[in-house]
Amino acid sequence: MARTTTSPPPPVSLPRISWSTRFDKLQRRFAPFVFISPFFILFAIFGLFPIVFSMYLSLQEWNPIQGLGTMRYIGLENYTWLMGDPWFWRSITNTLWIAFASGIPQHLVAIPLAFALSRGIQSFRHPLTAAYFLPYITSAVAIALVFQTIFGTQFGILNQTLQYLATAPWSAWLFGGLADSLPVNWLGRAPNIKPAISLLVWWQFFGFNVVLYAAGLATIPKDYYEAAQIDGASGRQSFFHIPLPLLRPMIFFAVTFTIIGNLQLFDQPFILTDGTGGTSQAGMTVAMYLYRTGFEWLEMGTAAAISWLLFLLIGTLTVIHFYFFGRSGLETRD
Amino acid sequence: MKKILALALAASLLAGAALAQTTLTLGLFEPLNEHVELVLPQFNALHPDVTVEIRTLGFGDHHDLLVTNLATGSGAADVVAIEIGYIARFVAEGGLRDLSEAPFEADRFADDFVDYAWAQGRTADGRQIAMPTDIAPGTLYYRRDHLEASGWTIDQVIESMDSFLDYGRELLGHGVFLVADAGSIAEGLIRSNVPAGDGIYFAADGTPQLNSERFLEAARIAQIVREEGMDAQIGAWSNEWYEAFRQGTTAVEISGAWLGGHLQTWMAPETSGLWGASNTPGEMLVSWGGSFYGIPTQTDEAKLDAAWDLVLFLTTNPEIQLKAFRTINAFPAMPVTYDDPMFEEELEFLAGQQARMLWADIANRIPGVATFPGDMIAEEIFGSAMGEILNEGRDVQAALDEAQMLIQRRIRR
Amino acid sequence: MRMTASTPRTARRNERTGRSPVGQFFLYLGLIALALLTLFPFYWMFVLSSHSQSTIFSAPPPLWFGEFLERNYNALLARLPFLRNIWNSFYIALMATITTMFFASLAGFAFAMYDFRFKRFLFAFVIGSLMIPPLLGIIPYYLIIQFLGWLDTPRAIWVPGMAGAFGIFLMRQYVASSMPRELMDAGRIDGASEFRLYWNIALPIIRPGLATLGMLTFIGQWNNFLGPLVVLNSRENYTIPVALRTLQGQIQTDWGAVLTGTSLAVLPLLIIFVFASKQVIEGLVAGSVKG
Repeated sequence: MARTTTSPPPPVSLPRISWSTRFDKLQRRFAPFVFISPFFILFAIFGLFPIVFSMYLSLQEWNPIQGLGTMRYIGLENYTWLMGDPWFWRSITNTLWIAFASGIPQHLVAIPLAFALSRGIQSFRHPLTAAYFLPYITSAVAIALVFQTIFGTQFGILNQTLQYLATAPWSAWLFGGLADSLPVNWLGRAPNIKPAISLLVWWQFFGFNVVLYAAGLATIPKDYYEAAQIDGASGRQSFFHIPLPLLRPMIFFAVTFTIIGNLQLFDQPFILTDGTGGTSQAGMTVAMYLYRTGFEWLEMGTAAAISWLLFLLIGTLTVIHFYFFGRSGLETRD
Repeated sequence: MKKILALALAASLLAGAALAQTTLTLGLFEPLNEHVELVLPQFNALHPDVTVEIRTLGFGDHHDLLVTNLATGSGAADVVAIEIGYIARFVAEGGLRDLSEAPFEADRFADDFVDYAWAQGRTADGRQIAMPTDIAPGTLYYRRDHLEASGWTIDQVIESMDSFLDYGRELLGHGVFLVADAGSIAEGLIRSNVPAGDGIYFAADGTPQLNSERFLEAARIAQIVREEGMDAQIGAWSNEWYEAFRQGTTAVEISGAWLGGHLQTWMAPETSGLWGASNTPGEMLVSWGGSFYGIPTQTDEAKLDAAWDLVLFLTTNPEIQLKAFRTINAFPAMPVTYDDPMFEEELEFLAGQQARMLWADIANRIPGVATFPGDMIAEEIFGSAMGEILNEGRDVQAALDEAQMLIQRRIRR
Repeated sequence: MRMTASTPRTARRNERTGRSPVGQFFLYLGLIALALLTLFPFYWMFVLSSHSQSTIFSAPPPLWFGEFLERNYNALLARLPFLRNIWNSFYIALMATITTMFFASLAGFAFAMYDFRFKRFLFAFVIGSLMIPPLLGIIPYYLIIQFLGWLDTPRAIWVPGMAGAFGIFLMRQYVASSMPRELMDAGRIDGASEFRLYWNIALPIIRPGLATLGMLTFIGQWNNFLGPLVVLNSRENYTIPVALRTLQGQIQTDWGAVLTGTSLAVLPLLIIFVFASKQVIEGLVAGSVKG
């Protein structure tokens, strides 16, 4: 202690501690609150008002171009109207379909891939990781041009490949059955739009997950593997028994983000359907419907109600995810 | 001493100029900016006290941002350009100043513009919200080589919708598609023969018309084209579309007159001389594009005079309109310009045809169509129904009845 | 930990990975095939940036470089203050990255290493904030920025997101899986302040994760479009995505120029990626602190 005093005790029976000790106690007690405070301060400034605004808005009828003063209170009408709106329900099923069809394969590919990159090979680790990550930074413009070329009906690369496979002597026995249904109108016919969008989403994001998992694998102590090696575990065994359990927090994180991100999917369906949602709105996601309702059809109140219903859907699925996997996914090392 | 005086004089002049100076912002989308940048010095010469600052955004971004700006009541440019596809949104719904009122009194210019462009910028209750600057008379571009090979004349082809379809059947025998997309025929047909006072999708009293005979007929014809294999099933603005023009796999395209300019400069330059332009089959008198200028309500009162001067300069000055035609191929909205020698030029790309005179004639004859607030959503609902009819083989009556039901649900409030 | 006790394999196997040469061959084959799939559109973007408008849209499209790069580049410079736009994007992305790395790791550290009142609730709140669809926020966002007088300034873009929930969650997971709690107690016994525990102990351990977060933040901010579109309004202040989109016209777009700009704009991201993934890979090779 820096300052020991011999003076009589103070009237109030405080424990006799020095300022520095007191500060030390204080900083230990409040440290976590201080550490997390920037988020909450910024949220109070930038996050709270938009939420209150859109909650209020969802109870109004409002055409945005008439200005803020023209809102009209209509109670829950926006919500009840949406409950009976066929396009809204279609957008919900579309979103769920695409979210699962693109989301699950992302992780099924990314986890073993990250493992293969980190433990399975010794050279080209770096360029390969970079290659997988590239779609994530490829601009939307380039993606739009490329994928419309890939999915083109007459000259599209995908159809030409299928055409070749269906007629070439070496592969006709396997793909010959396709010949009758070629060329496939990928982006024009309703049943094909969702698979096309899902493929694009998968392509764009599996590498992102590979990078997340690679970073997660980097935390696994090397001696875990060495121990396993000494015990003679095979590559497959050391995958299922070492990294997988230790990767759990990262998997939990990545899956959470896939759920939240995929349910808010906007760019990819927008690109592939030229912003329309495609035939029969087969590719219109909830986020797209929300955007079009608010900014194109100028029904901002209804759009706000859609955003809260979407929030509800995301919240429900996230809570289910946390309920089943949160215990292991959020655990800490001890 | 003299020097000092001169300096003082210069300074006071500058100060005076600075005091009277009005700075206007002008919100444009590509390619209007290319034209305005060229003619702005002329405006500055006429109005030295006004400085114009151009803000250009992407085509879609410009219109989307305008919605946000009008919503928040600030941030919009003092004068804004609006394309025809978005005009219904702004004309019928507010956010822009009523130009029929003082100090603008725009109604005096009504006779200077082609009817339909003027009507498009006007609300059903007669308020002029936007001033037209360019238009796009609808025309039929056709490949002369396919026409000759088939032994038809263009007058036979466009005589009626039936003869047009017969031409398509004839072409099938030559391995050529009639059009790229059957849907484009329906889009044209619903826009023609609209009863006076009605909008495209709504009757004068606001009742949706999506399952009226006009729509049913348009959808049936498009369906015939699709079912008999007369269209290449290629959507506009795709690689395949451009390629179809280059290789001549399709014989005609119904479009705005502007398509020729794009075919010539980048879409299919090598097909020069192979094309012709004509009236549309069965006299579908329709417009395929156009732009307008308007003044947002949030524009500062003090700037209104300058803003209006700028709008008038860009819209009511024949010389400026003709310059826009030359630089960005924007067809003028003022009939008085059609007497310019430029309209008699023989267009090399169209094998020497004097097509601009044809388009001027079409432009003068297109009837005005009223604009309704629900036009954008109605367009979407109809397009969606057409997709189901053409791509999924849905029954015309059923699809359009459902479309009518959907639009009724939408406009219920 | 469960460990399967099996018989030792032959010595031919690669010592480190435990794989046979044949297995290695097929593994590489698969990895490279997948890489081609992801590389192609990226490569193609560069190819198209060297072509004219009409060759870009020919079918089949060009697969090798053309001769229009210089023309496209000049067209780009003639129509945009391109370098200025690049600088704006760089400045905004850099500020966002530095602040996010600091604030998010600090908060993530707190959520992983401490037990405090309302922790579960506060953490759920952070996650919950991610679930709000952002599209409608654009109107209130504009109003807030206008209220603060920040219109047409870079800070309007990077300040609101500098302690984002994504980063906090990522950092929380990262700290939780890589940092043993004993280290905290050990540090405390040595008399380190709580901030020192974060700065001197946690930060070095989570370096690979931090690098990942920094990279993702930089990329996200670099490509951010909607925010800048709404609050920036002079072309000198535009960021790259907004500026490039001003070239997208009603009917015709100079795609050659757009793609040249896009290709140039992606180069800084590549550099950032290489830099960041070096940190991650080094982490991989070195392993980390023992549990």
